Amino acid sequence: MSDLNVSCIQRFSTGDGPGIRTTVFLKGCNLKCPWCHNPENISPIPQMLEYKYANKIVSYGKIMSTEQIVSDIMEDIEFYRAGNGGVTISGGEPMLQYEGVAELSKQLHNNGVSVIIDTAGSVPWDNFAAVFDHTDIFYYDYKTASENDCKNVCGGDKSLILSNLNKLIIKGKNVHVRIPLIPGFNMGETDCENISDDLLSAKVKYVDLLPFHRLGSAKYEALNLEYAYKNTPPSNVDTVTYIKRIYSKYFIVNVE
Amino acid sequence: MSILKDLQKEMENKPSGVFCPDFYRCKGYEKSKSKSPSMMRADGIYALFTEPEPYIYKNDLIVGSIKPYFVSLNEDETENIKSFMSKYPERGFFQNGDHFAPDYFTAVEKGIPGLLKSIDESVISHSDDNKKIDFLKSMQKTLIALSDKLKSYAEKAEALRETEGYDNKRLLKIKNNCLSLINSVPQTFEEALQLVWMIHICFVSEGRYAMALGRIDKYLYPLYKHDIDNGIIDEAYAEELLSNVFAKICERRYTGGDDVVNICIGGVDEEGNCSVNELSYRVLHAVRDVNMPGPNLSARITHDCPDTFLDECLKVIGTGLGYPALMNDEVNMEALSRKGYDIKDVRNYCMVGCIENFIAGKQPPWVDGRFDPIRYLLDIFNDNDGIKLDSISSMDEFISIYKNNLSAGAEDYVKRTRAASYVSDPQNRTSPFLSCFCDCCIERGLDINMGGSKYPSVHGAVLMGIGTVSDCLSAIEKCVFVEKSTTLSYIKQAIKKNFEGCEELRQTLISAPKYGNNDYFADKYGVWYTNTLSDMFDQYKTNDGGAYYTAMAANISNIDAGKSLSATPDGRLAGKPLSDAASPTYGCDTRGVTSTLLSLSKPDYTRCACGTVVNQKFSPDAFKDGKRDKLLQLIRVYFSRGGQEIQINSTSRQVLKDAMENPEKYPSLVVRVSGFSAIYVTLSKDVQEDILSRTQQTI
Repeated sequence: MSDLNVSCIQRFSTGDGPGIRTTVFLKGCNLKCPWCHNPENISPIPQMLEYKYANKIVSYGKIMSTEQIVSDIMEDIEFYRAGNGGVTISGGEPMLQYEGVAELSKQLHNNGVSVIIDTAGSVPWDNFAAVFDHTDIFYYDYKTASENDCKNVCGGDKSLILSNLNKLIIKGKNVHVRIPLIPGFNMGETDCENISDDLLSAKVKYVDLLPFHRLGSAKYEALNLEYAYKNTPPSNVDTVTYIKRIYSKYFIVNVE
Repeated sequence: MSILKDLQKEMENKPSGVFCPDFYRCKGYEKSKSKSPSMMRADGIYALFTEPEPYIYKNDLIVGSIKPYFVSLNEDETENIKSFMSKYPERGFFQNGDHFAPDYFTAVEKGIPGLLKSIDESVISHSDDNKKIDFLKSMQKTLIALSDKLKSYAEKAEALRETEGYDNKRLLKIKNNCLSLINSVPQTFEEALQLVWMIHICFVSEGRYAMALGRIDKYLYPLYKHDIDNGIIDEAYAEELLSNVFAKICERRYTGGDDVVNICIGGVDEEGNCSVNELSYRVLHAVRDVNMPGPNLSARITHDCPDTFLDECLKVIGTGLGYPALMNDEVNMEALSRKGYDIKDVRNYCMVGCIENFIAGKQPPWVDGRFDPIRYLLDIFNDNDGIKLDSISSMDEFISIYKNNLSAGAEDYVKRTRAASYVSDPQNRTSPFLSCFCDCCIERGLDINMGGSKYPSVHGAVLMGIGTVSDCLSAIEKCVFVEKSTTLSYIKQAIKKNFEGCEELRQTLISAPKYGNNDYFADKYGVWYTNTLSDMFDQYKTNDGGAYYTAMAANISNIDAGKSLSATPDGRLAGKPLSDAASPTYGCDTRGVTSTLLSLSKPDYTRCACGTVVNQKFSPDAFKDGKRDKLLQLIRVYFSRGGQEIQINSTSRQVLKDAMENPEKYPSLVVRVSGFSAIYVTLSKDVQEDILSRTQQTI
């Protein structure tokens, strides 16, 4: 039996994979991407967010046993089975809690529920090895091809991210690479070409593009944090189409 | 679609004068030389249908308008007509006057000549019964009135030829359709639709409201199929014809408010097999194109209906229209079967008004009322002093007291509603025209409300506040009997003071489990509520021996009912709304829609023969290609678990805009964007604008 540091459990998650899914958001992240839309999941420490107007105080962060989580998740089993739904484990960086995640995924598999792990990949390979057998799909963020940007802006290790990605694919895992489109960071033609080079070297075939949005800004406000992207409007359709065209030269591309 | 748009533009011109069909009807009474009340009534109806000059829109394909019933009258004249007509009273809603689904199956199958022939045959078979012959003659007269009305429209179409703005070809078609219906059964889809619409307009002119069109994809299908197979019409033209009719339902708003004309698609055939057909899709598209309230579309969803049909329904809902309401066919049919109807009639049910299940053309018009169980819960606190309250030693004892109160309340309700629907002079309030479209009236020579209809009348007791009651009982059990953190006498004092100075107690009550979170502790009371109240109403009969149905579909009356009630033991403050229809208390189902639906599928809705309503809102994003399948799966699971109805709304741009201006009105409006969901009102203005611009792309 393992415990997990859970931020929240969200039912009927419609953007975290196929079918009807429950997303388990885990708390704690080893990156510090300034555009993050889930800032409440960065720190492993429990936090309260007070939303104005909604008249709501929501607490994030609670230690739960995998059994507790599974019993909560299994309430919706009929909904998962109605399509090809299941559970997505997201965060934060779920791979930091790989032991608990491995246990959770195993139990879910024993219950016939499919598992997606949504990761940024900047963790030792051993963490992936631990969850490998009981993960059906990895949603794998790839934000930049630049070692420096990855290190200085996000606090991540690009070589590690790329090599983990490569290993997952070589070992035959179903991996969906997801590229968040961040204005001023990775949306130039060269950025896209460089990312494509990396992904081609890792034998990636499918790419999801996630256009930027700033819906997380209310959470920054509630956390009393300054959001660097508060005044950045979402990209217009033309820009997204332009970028999609670049990636489409090399991959099968889906825009979320 | 251009004809529809042009028609809707034409319809923007509101007629002048007042809507006063009685202006014509009273002429008929004045001229009448008949002695019998029914024949006088028929004379009134004859004038009502035939006296006004027909109105044909430039963009009409199917004719029949209420515009001719707008007359320029001064107040004195209106008053005179009113006082004259008071000698000939009509049945109102509570006396089974409207909210009816006519037997259009027979009308389309037999046509006017066939119906007249049936009347002739019945006259012969009842030759020794003067009363029946008299009533049959009055029915005959109203059908002749319908026939003459069609004739007058044909003449009008002829007269309008070569008039600027009118299309001669269309006028010729209208004329031929109308004339053909006088002498024969409908030969084409277009003629059949013309017949049905003219009958409907006649009902409206009689002053009837919420007259359903019923299973239009069933009774018009044979002719539709024939016409398509023979190249007489194509799909686009069929949709054009339907939307031409549905648009005119909205004429009702000239009189001050929208009509609620229920149209039913989907469901099963006589053998019980899924009967979704191509015409079901045509109807869906026509309602979508009209895009206005008035045509109230219901879809009977069977477990084996094609996903493409349900998906098409979701697409129409996603336009922001909110229709069709989705009905679980298996649950509704089982609920109606419990009432003892022939299985063939059960399979052919439709809805009237909003969602009320109805055996089309085989029972008198619908009646319902509101039953408020919360009052009887509060009575426990009002009727007993603190000492007596605290002597209640268990939840079981509390429930048994509540049950007694409810039982007395139900008895009282039945007494009142039976009295309200009682008519002392039924022979002076016959409905000869309506009776022509109700099974057995012609055969028996009897009025629809005097034993003519195949089945007796039913009454729908609309149960209020399942969420509020469940939450109250859950809070009482948890706080008084399990945790013993308070007593019934404290609760009595607190609700009397509207929780002033008792905020701590209120928060304790609020923190008890709530209905709608898939928590057995609270949900068991929703199950109890449904069974207990249905058991109670099952014991009663209407004046003519029909059933008392139950419903959980109180529309918006939960708001008004809440206004007159004190605070309640769930922590609700005085005057605040009760929970809506069959839904949990607003904002109390916090674990997400799947949990809500798991809770809501626990009550046995086969006990609610009238029907229930569950409202769920989703942001427009949820209706996009690639996302809609999730909604579809959600509904399939809800229905497979025994949910009865779900009404889905796409949060419109209008709502999103309003929420920007008035955030306090929308504390729990959730929007989803690419997997990210947020409470809308917590977002800053510019982020809200981002979402608005996204919705523009999808709508």
